[in-house]
Amino acid sequence: MSLDPADLALVRGLVEIPSASRDEARAVAWLVERMRDRGFRSEVDAAGNAVGEIGDGPTHVVLLGHIDTVPGIFPVRIEDGELVGRGAVDAKGPLAAFVSAASVRLPGLRVTVVGAVEEESPTSAGARYRATLPAPDHCVVGEPSGWDGLTVAYKGRLVAEVALERAARHGAAPGPTLTEEALAVWERVRAVAAARGGARAFDRLDCRLEGMRAGESDGLAERAWLKVGYRIPPGAAVDEIERELRAAVTAEEGTSATVTRAASEEPVRTERTSALARAFVRAIAEAGGTARTLAKSGTSDMNVLAPVWRCPMVAYGPGDSAYDHTPMERLRLEDHARAIAVLRSVLARLARGDG
Amino acid sequence: MPKCPECDADVTVGGDAVKGEIVACPDCGAELEVTETSPLALALAPEEEEDWGE
Repeated sequence: MSLDPADLALVRGLVEIPSASRDEARAVAWLVERMRDRGFRSEVDAAGNAVGEIGDGPTHVVLLGHIDTVPGIFPVRIEDGELVGRGAVDAKGPLAAFVSAASVRLPGLRVTVVGAVEEESPTSAGARYRATLPAPDHCVVGEPSGWDGLTVAYKGRLVAEVALERAARHGAAPGPTLTEEALAVWERVRAVAAARGGARAFDRLDCRLEGMRAGESDGLAERAWLKVGYRIPPGAAVDEIERELRAAVTAEEGTSATVTRAASEEPVRTERTSALARAFVRAIAEAGGTARTLAKSGTSDMNVLAPVWRCPMVAYGPGDSAYDHTPMERLRLEDHARAIAVLRSVLARLARGDG
Repeated sequence: MPKCPECDADVTVGGDAVKGEIVACPDCGAELEVTETSPLALALAPEEEEDWGE
């Protein structure tokens, strides 16, 4: 299956505009214009998202993909049938596929495409703003699942900082150094998380030491700092994990320990039996594939939107998520074309009420 | 009519169902995968594939 030249120009043009998180304005303005060219009513919303709406039917579908990327750009090029460049997979490919697929107005349907800002930042400001608006009937979040996959679950996230402090001591003083105390705290935190168990990787609570500073003293106080990051499976909650962390952070006499939550997202799982999921399975079959359903350890804007909107929701988009955040991001153009065909078929099914 | 392999209830599946489609048992709520369409056959749906990305 070959990619329409206009759809290639759209995805390549979007990838060519750098848009690291919190610096998306140029890409947003460009996408708003491209959507207007294609017949969308388009604008930049109050959060800075690129928004395009097409059709005026009673069934409302939101296709929301993030327009920001992680930092680190490298030359955009087409190589062996693949578009190479920052954001090709995560997640400008899926977002461009949304615009391409929704460009055909369908009776009975109103489709809103959102290029959301700040998904790669802890703020998730773009999705959080959209979540304040009325829920649509169906929502697709743009993330790479492969053209024949759909994602129905994401782990949650908790990032916490642990600060230890005690009065400065001579280096020859007996007892553990504050650095050793900090490492002992980390070992207790890790052991508590591991004790939860879980049959498969997705069911386990991941707990990582994501940062550490120690050995700091101004002559009056010694300080150590740990950044602990959790990936939380559905069935557990952020508050519960934070309580366990606080209980595990105990300090030696004379040392104070404080725990601060830096960022969090609840885990999410959506229905595989919804009309939307069924429409994807049938559309993928129509395109010659057998649908795979995925559960991911990362997070996405689905973590923000699903608990608020509570409508049928999946994440979908072309590309292999193994390239997420790597300096080798590449999108197979044939898969991009297939994903556009699948999305068109899904929208046509939703317009007909045929899940 | 196919039966739920978990509770033996009758499960209605549309004639246009495709292989890989997942339906819910109306009695016990189990997620069931359409494994064959002619004749219709159901099995307990496998868990999702795991992936560490976004």
